[in-house]
Amino acid sequence: MNALKIAATGMAAQQTRVEVISHNLANMNTTAYNARRAEFADLHYEQVARAGSISSSSGTELPTGVQLGMGVRTAAIAMNVMQGSLKETGGDLDLAIEGRGYIEVQLPSGASAYTRDGALKLSGEGQLVTSDGFPVIPDLTIPEDARAVTINADGEVYAYFADQPEPQLLGQISLATFVNDMGLEAIGGNMYRETPASGQPQIGAPAQDGRGTFRQGYLESSSVDAVREITELIEAQRGYELNAKVITAADQMLGATTQIR
Amino acid sequence: MDNIGYVALTRQAGLLREMQAVANNIANASTTGFRREGVLFAEVIAALPVEGGNLSMADARVRYTDRAQGVLRETGNPLDLAIEGPGYFNVETPDGTALTRAGAFSLSAQSELVTMDGLRVLDDGGAPIFIPPDAATVSVAADGTISADNRPLARLGLVIPDDPAALTRRDGVMFNYDGPLAPIENPGLRQGFVEGSNVSAVSEITRMIEVQRSYELGQKLLDQEHERISGLTRTLGQRA
Repeated sequence: MNALKIAATGMAAQQTRVEVISHNLANMNTTAYNARRAEFADLHYEQVARAGSISSSSGTELPTGVQLGMGVRTAAIAMNVMQGSLKETGGDLDLAIEGRGYIEVQLPSGASAYTRDGALKLSGEGQLVTSDGFPVIPDLTIPEDARAVTINADGEVYAYFADQPEPQLLGQISLATFVNDMGLEAIGGNMYRETPASGQPQIGAPAQDGRGTFRQGYLESSSVDAVREITELIEAQRGYELNAKVITAADQMLGATTQIR
Repeated sequence: MDNIGYVALTRQAGLLREMQAVANNIANASTTGFRREGVLFAEVIAALPVEGGNLSMADARVRYTDRAQGVLRETGNPLDLAIEGPGYFNVETPDGTALTRAGAFSLSAQSELVTMDGLRVLDDGGAPIFIPPDAATVSVAADGTISADNRPLARLGLVIPDDPAALTRRDGVMFNYDGPLAPIENPGLRQGFVEGSNVSAVSEITRMIEVQRSYELGQKLLDQEHERISGLTRTLGQRA
C-alpha cells in the first residue's frame, strides 16, 4: 500500500519544515542571520497506464494515462539572502554591511571563512578579530595607544592618537562577494565557507563592483520575521496532522482487506 | 459466476490508486508550484457469453491535473518568481526541456538562473539566463523582463502548451510536454513571491474519507458474495 509510504514522506517533509522554522526562531536575535526556508519537490511518478496506450479493441488511445506520485522530498533549504535591518550599537568596532558582501576571516586551519557578523573585537595583541576570536583578513592591528578608531563606508580604518591631530590610515577591510550566496556552506558561528555552488569569492574594496559599504556603530539584525515563522509553523503542524490522517485511513483500508475471508 | 468478484476488484484496485493520489497530494501540500492531481474512473464494458449481455466495470485509467492558481507566498527573495495566471517556466533538463511553475530560483556558480535542483531556466529564445555577478540589484518585471542595475538582460520565456491535458508529470515539480509551446501574451510574474501548492486540505481529506468508505463498501460486497456462494454450495450439498 503506497499511500502509507507517501504519507510518511509527507510527514518527514513537514518535520523538516518545523526543524527549519525552529532554527530560524532560535536565531531571531543572531547578528546578520539570514532566515532559511525549506523547499520541497515531488518524487518520481509511477506509470500505471501510459498516455497513448491502446485502451479498447477499436484502437482508441488513452489521452492522459494514469501517473501516480510517490510523495515528496526536501529539494533545498534555501537561505533567504536579504538585508537585515540595522541596529545602532554605538560600538567603535561594530560594523554593519549595507548591501552585498562578506568579511573574510581566517580559521585556525588556515582556510578562509566569510561572515556578515561585523561585531569585531580586539585580541590581546591589538589584532582585529571576530566575536569568536578569528582574525579578519586582511590583517589589521590597532596600536595600543590609539585614542579612537573610525571606519568609513569604504572600510578604511583610521586611528587617532593623542599627540597627532590628523588620523592615521591603518588599512582597509575588504569585502568578498559570491555569485550564488545561497550556495555557501554555513559552518556555524555566523560563518560560511565557499563551495563549488557558491563560486569563487570576489574580494575587493567596498562600494565597488556591486559590493556593499560599511556602517560603523551599527550591527545587522537577523532577518527572521517572527510572524511569518509562526504562520509557517501552524501550517507545518497542520500538514503533519493531515499526513498522519492519511496513514490512519490507509491503515483502516488495509484492515478492511484483511477481514475478507 | 465470478463476475461480481471481478467487478468489485476493478473498483477496489481503482480506489487504491485514488488513495495513493490523495496521499501524494497531501504529502505535497507544501511543495512550491505543485499541481493537485486526481484520478477519474471510466466505465469498461466486458461482453458476456449470454445473448446481448455485458458487464460494466469501473477502472481508474484517466488522470487529471488541477490547474487552479496556488496561493502566492511572499519570501522577499529577488529570485523567487511566482506566475499569476496561466503559463509555465521553461527549464533545461538532461533529457530535453521541461515545464514548471515552481519559481524558487537561485544562481549557479556560473551565474546562471537555475531551479532548486540546479537545472537552467530558459529565456524566451530558449537560451540560459546569465546574470552578471557584480549586479547589485536584480529586478524582474511582470512581463518577465529581467534587469540587473536597471539594464535589461533577458526575458523569461513563459509558455503554455497547446494541449494542457497532454502534460505528463516528472519529479522535481516539472512536467514533460512533447507538442508545440506557445508564448504567453500577457504574463503576470511576481518577484519576491513563490506560488504555493494548489492542494486544498479540506477537499483532499473529504475525498480520502469517501475513498475509504467506498473501499469498505466494496469489501462488504465481496464478503456478501462469499456468503452467498458458500450458502449455495451448502444448500446444494444437503439436497444431494
